[in-house]
Amino acid sequence: MAAFPLIRSRTIGELLAPAAPFDKKCGRENWTVAFAPDGSYFAWSQGHRTVKLVPWSQCLQNFLLHGTKNVTNSSSLRLPRQNSDGGQKNKPREHIIDCGDIVWSLAFGSSVPEKQSRCVNIEWHRFRFGQDQLLLATGLNNGRIKIWDVYTGKLLLNLVDHTEVVRDLTFAPDGSLILVSASRDKTLRVWDLKDDGNMMKVLRGHQNWVYSCAFSPDSSILCSVGASKAVFLWNMDKYTMIRKLEGHHHDVVACDFSPDGALLATASYDTRVYIWDPHNGDILMEFGHLFPPPTPIFAGGANDRWVRSVSFSHDGLHVASLADDKMVRFWRIDEDYPVQVAPLSNGLCCAFSTDGSVLAAGTHDGSVYFWATPRQVPSLQHLCRMSVRRVMPTQEVQELPIPSKLLEFLSYRI
Amino acid sequence: MDGEKKTYGGCEGPDALYVKLILSDGHEFIVKKERALTSGTIKAMLSGPGQFAEKEADEVHFREIPSHVPSKVYALCMYFMYKVRYTNSSTEIPEFPVAPEIALELLMAANFLDC
Repeated sequence: MAAFPLIRSRTIGELLAPAAPFDKKCGRENWTVAFAPDGSYFAWSQGHRTVKLVPWSQCLQNFLLHGTKNVTNSSSLRLPRQNSDGGQKNKPREHIIDCGDIVWSLAFGSSVPEKQSRCVNIEWHRFRFGQDQLLLATGLNNGRIKIWDVYTGKLLLNLVDHTEVVRDLTFAPDGSLILVSASRDKTLRVWDLKDDGNMMKVLRGHQNWVYSCAFSPDSSILCSVGASKAVFLWNMDKYTMIRKLEGHHHDVVACDFSPDGALLATASYDTRVYIWDPHNGDILMEFGHLFPPPTPIFAGGANDRWVRSVSFSHDGLHVASLADDKMVRFWRIDEDYPVQVAPLSNGLCCAFSTDGSVLAAGTHDGSVYFWATPRQVPSLQHLCRMSVRRVMPTQEVQELPIPSKLLEFLSYRI
Repeated sequence: MDGEKKTYGGCEGPDALYVKLILSDGHEFIVKKERALTSGTIKAMLSGPGQFAEKEADEVHFREIPSHVPSKVYALCMYFMYKVRYTNSSTEIPEFPVAPEIALELLMAANFLDC
């Protein structure tokens, strides 16, 4: 293999869990980190049944003040603030929430549809503090899901139906406050939080633990991944299974859609991250974490290179992966080697911030580490591609009367 | 037109600050040279050896691109400015929105211009 330059990512900061008298006891793990859709808050499970909520812009300012001195331009501190109208009386506050049981999953839900929250122009941000709802859902060890109000830290709803650990939670990005939970009891459940948490549907089909789930950006498709190599796609209008994606050799533990919904990334214990075309089930790219690639038997067992988490960045060009070989890798979808790496021991989960500038990763001891994501001005061709693919599935793209090279580019086959 | 050129610097000569982009139906756009060079194609046309006779006057003729959809040319110029502003800059790179109605044709123009 040709040698490639390994660039180390720039660390932004870290949030360390408070030291506990019983360090080695199970229950400290930080299984999920999450950013609020409007960028106002960051949440992580600190271990020992608590979740900490911090206002993200204040947190970032603290890192910049105490951390690296590379920031020369003060405009980089102008992050989306929900009280830009001058509502100083309602400054976001930190909360520590005791959930009563080990927290396995977290998700923020907003009644504001994500296209609006992720504004193009920062100054135009119209999020009215306290009037639109921002909720935090926590999935617990005993199968319960607790819904909290982010601004007040109060418990709003208690959803009881799963019989086993709720391993992942995700809200639909269209502001409808539909919540999907994935559980070790082999089912996924769909809850309507605007209707008092009424459970609308049970999705059955997994033969084993369900590890993770993710909505497509237009909220029409749900991906669920689980043990025994399972990757399923569900139609969220009719709640039927669209297809099963075959290819992994071991448990699949994480999934994420690209911002235009044209790509799906899945991470597995078989040491690989696959990038699929969710419209036809083709595997477009493979990001390996072990060289030479393991044989199927080795990949299907304990191979020390389990990939734990994968996340798509908001520019649709970069993917971050977290593996057991103590490294975080940033990949570009047009290269097959990582463009940046960072060391991380015992990492369990990762997530990009709402504006895509920071990657947060949670570890086994309840801490979180942050890095600056590799950013560059995307090509106009890629920006146009994302705009087209947000509204056009692959089948329609294939019918377009354009040169074949452009067809391949639009289908992400280059 | 001549008065305008004298005030803002010319399109002629190697030190010209501006270049003129001439589309197939005769519409002319005068763009700052530094920004137009974002496009690999325009850069090649301006600096290539003698086969491009436009080199003398720093004009580029696009015989295939009509201007009947001005929003695309506007989007192209906005992209050039966006790229020059945020390349090698430590500030946050904001999103560059592309309206879905023009996205496909803008993709073809961007592919032609290699940007």
